[in-house]
Amino acid sequence: MTSSRRRRTRAGTRDAHRAARRARGAALVAGAFALVALTGCGADAPTFPTDPDGTLERVRGGELRAGLSPHEPWTALGPDGSPDGVEVALVEDFADSLGADVTWTTGGEEALVADLEEGRLDVVVGGFTASTPWTSKAAVTVAYTTVTDEHGKPEGHVVLAPMGENAFLVALERHLLDQEVTAP
Amino acid sequence: MTQGAVQQSFRFGNTELPPDAQRARRRAVRLAWLTIGFLVTAVTATYLVMGSSQAMKAAWAEDLLSFIPPVAFLVALHVTGRVPSERHPYGYHRSVGIGHLVAATALLTMGAFLVFDSLSGLLAGEHPPVGLIVVLGHEIWAGWLMVAVLAYTIVPPVLLGRAKMPLAEQLHDRVLYADADMNKADWMTAVGGIVGVLGIGAGLWWADAVAALFISGSILHDGVRNLRSAVAALMDARATTVDGTQPHPLHDRIDATLRALPWVAQAQSRVRDEGHVFHVEAFVVPRDGMPTQAQLQHAWHAVADLDWKVQDLVVAPVDELPEELLPGLRDATGARPG
Repeated sequence: MTSSRRRRTRAGTRDAHRAARRARGAALVAGAFALVALTGCGADAPTFPTDPDGTLERVRGGELRAGLSPHEPWTALGPDGSPDGVEVALVEDFADSLGADVTWTTGGEEALVADLEEGRLDVVVGGFTASTPWTSKAAVTVAYTTVTDEHGKPEGHVVLAPMGENAFLVALERHLLDQEVTAP
Repeated sequence: MTQGAVQQSFRFGNTELPPDAQRARRRAVRLAWLTIGFLVTAVTATYLVMGSSQAMKAAWAEDLLSFIPPVAFLVALHVTGRVPSERHPYGYHRSVGIGHLVAATALLTMGAFLVFDSLSGLLAGEHPPVGLIVVLGHEIWAGWLMVAVLAYTIVPPVLLGRAKMPLAEQLHDRVLYADADMNKADWMTAVGGIVGVLGIGAGLWWADAVAALFISGSILHDGVRNLRSAVAALMDARATTVDGTQPHPLHDRIDATLRALPWVAQAQSRVRDEGHVFHVEAFVVPRDGMPTQAQLQHAWHAVADLDWKVQDLVVAPVDELPEELLPGLRDATGARPG
């Protein structure tokens, strides 16, 4: 009596487990379809990927807030304090392609990356390479050029963008990949 | 009580698998290697495209952990093949239990770590960046590659799991069962990952962390379930079916076979699962006096012929069924045929 009841409840647990698994699976598939529908029909979301905070839309025809940390020969400040270097030209061209004006902020890397994190800057340049330690605080673009460092290792040069603003990141990367940049 | 003498005279050698079980064993080994081969491709592809997606990281960790069950199965199979020795009179069947325990602990630890990792990412509001990747000169959004790799990992594990499941039951192998069970549920990980990556694309930064939480939760869940069943088997719990949900039907058949013998008044056994094979101690109360050598021999064969899993068998004639060795007896008195 006891043992048969125990047997039944055990079998019951297994059925419950299977049912739960089936329900989980169904919820997942429903979620996937909902997402596909959402991304497919979203007429007001013009890009895929899109920005959670709308950076690309804000910059387009407006202002691109750029940060510069001097790191010659990639970025530098002229005698009059005006930004100069390959990466400055890249950012200016990118802004032009979006019909935006660039506002430069200069400073140390740490302060600029913090501004990027807080949403006060849209892009930071400073001779960063693909092995930059800032990857957990900033989105690192694809390399726009690759040079051999003093140890003979090839190193890609990159620009920093805000985390997770993927439409903006993709637009910036497309621009960088279109340029023929030769290392200074 | 002549248990000592009986034990010695009735202990026969090693379990020989019948031909159909041999075939199942060979198939299971092939499937284990096939799983490992598939996982090598899945792990490599996932690693190459995972970028900063937390969901991809969790899916990758799951693929890595999926190596443990098939490897544990192959190792355990190799070790159980050894013949019992003086130092290991019960053979090496427990290696299955050890493999199972190791696999379960790995799942539990990694699952717990990933739950913590995903949850802290979600709470910190981390926005995963997913940008462009250049493949053969074409610029594409890296998310599409992640979706492609995850889609590749949907179907094969389900097929492998379905093929392994009946073999796990036939061979009574818990590691193989755990492996098959995880494989069968693996498609949910892949679909969850796809939902997460598409979520990133749709601008829902939290979708990635939520998908990662779902994947790591399922790893943790597998760990807890397997740890329970592995520990129960190692603690000499009564033999159960390979999924651990029900008492094994062989136990009732053993008792019924002994009770059906004309010279037996009462019979009951205790059965533990050594991994693949059972270890059976059967107590019989004869109707009048000691049974003859031939009767005991016949009883031994009657039970051992039931199934290849019950070769490690002791039949002990006793005056009355020992309550302290058969805890079920107290509940069942009266219900049992006397």
